[in-house]
Amino acid sequence: METYQIYSLTSAVLFVIGIGGVFASRHFIKKIIATIIMGGGVFLCFVSFAERDALSFADPVPHALVITGIVVAVASAAFALALARRIYQLTGEESFTNDK
Amino acid sequence: MSVLIDSILAILAVYLALQCLLAPRLTQTVFIFFAFGLALALAWVRLGAVDVAITEAAIASGFLGVLFLDALRDFSFTAPNKRENLEAVHDPLSRNDTKSLLLPRLALWLGLGLFLLIALEAVWKIPDGGGLTAAAEALLPESGVEHPVTAVLLNFRAYDTWLEIGVILLGLLAIFAVGGIKLYRKPGVAADDPLLRQVILFFTPVLFLFGAFLLYFGKTGPGGAFQAAVLWGAIGILLHLGGRPVFSVIPRWLGQLLLTVGLVFFLVLGFLLMAGGGALFEYPPAHAGVLILIVETLAAISIAAALTAIFANLNQMKKEEPNEIESTN
Amino acid sequence: MIKEVITVILLVVGCFFFLAGTLGVLRFPDLFSRLHALTKADNLGLGFIAAGMALHIASPWAALKIFSIWLFTLLASSTSCYLIARFQREQEQSKNKKERG
Repeated sequence: METYQIYSLTSAVLFVIGIGGVFASRHFIKKIIATIIMGGGVFLCFVSFAERDALSFADPVPHALVITGIVVAVASAAFALALARRIYQLTGEESFTNDK
Repeated sequence: MSVLIDSILAILAVYLALQCLLAPRLTQTVFIFFAFGLALALAWVRLGAVDVAITEAAIASGFLGVLFLDALRDFSFTAPNKRENLEAVHDPLSRNDTKSLLLPRLALWLGLGLFLLIALEAVWKIPDGGGLTAAAEALLPESGVEHPVTAVLLNFRAYDTWLEIGVILLGLLAIFAVGGIKLYRKPGVAADDPLLRQVILFFTPVLFLFGAFLLYFGKTGPGGAFQAAVLWGAIGILLHLGGRPVFSVIPRWLGQLLLTVGLVFFLVLGFLLMAGGGALFEYPPAHAGVLILIVETLAAISIAAALTAIFANLNQMKKEEPNEIESTN
Repeated sequence: MIKEVITVILLVVGCFFFLAGTLGVLRFPDLFSRLHALTKADNLGLGFIAAGMALHIASPWAALKIFSIWLFTLLASSTSCYLIARFQREQEQSKNKKERG
């Protein structure tokens, strides 16, 4: 088994864990962390295939895309966190509830 | 041996991801999230992506973890009693309302299992396209830098990087739209603790120097604008925590300039290059190295300012200040 | 050969201190003793590992960089340890005041 295959299979598992977390967890922070884990899975997939296509160095294009992607994911997560804290500030809710 | 290490690391990452989502307390979730980020960073080092590892450890694990920690203070410390009630009633893992949720939960797990199989098969059978390594290697001498990742980020696909700086700025504007602009508040009390004050004083120049080193080193090895930006952003965060918010100390126009200079300079440079007869962001090979260094420096300043502003704004979203909220609306 | 043996010994000793520190964090009863285990034992372990790596690389510049990494980690961890301990103590004091008054 090659190195990249281990990590590409891991990436699929991480992505599914993230999706499950987005659906199954209640608290806002857990939902946001689940999306980050999903993103981590996608990035791991990219980088593992960059390792497969390596010549004298690993394929730099996926690396650059992943660096860009991480920063974008962090920016969107920060925005989601701001929304969550605003909701908490205004209503005191920490999760989506159907009570009202 | 190497397969063993990689397998252990992979299992560790999956285990931490699961634990992160299943942990009963929010503090545990956040701290396991830190550990998960570090495990991923190790995985990236194993895959030869040192740039990605530094970015992951610094931004995704470090900066985002700090934001989560800051949010924790709101979510779990202020209202512990309320939280327990919530957990008991709404936690999907407590079996209070099992009957009404049985069918959707079954469907969810079945769907996830199916999706896992599909994803594993897709990843296993992904076709070998050969990648872009050869193309990047052939063009590397013309890019003005020696490190292939920096060449891709700031020369071959500079358009992506430019838009990315824009996305961070957009995120900051969206946060302003949600919580109101709280950047320009008067500086609070300085850090009352002498030790904290001295440590911040010591770390500010060190972090600045280390960021500048990473920025310059990006030309030849792992490092570059984003990694440097996080270190410089850490200065802003430290100063903010020490009671000296950067954006309250400097004049308003300077703050706005710092936030936008990277985006604007990048764009102006692109248009100037177009006016000179090239494509957007097509640097002349003779000057590419210098131009990339200038662009990187300004981009790092802008990203650092944006990260500081995001933290400062989120840090001031507290529940205990009802008057503050009304006045900003 | 001798260099490699010393490197391995240093790394193993470093790992042992990390293990001890982790065990302390998991097993000690209250926050202060846990902090003690975490900062003291882990910093010592990191120091041994850093020494081992510096010996392995055997270049004065790299050794200097590794040493400065260890120094900054020491500074940062001791400061954060102090801050966490101070926060905990303030919490306890305010709690005691509430209970008395």
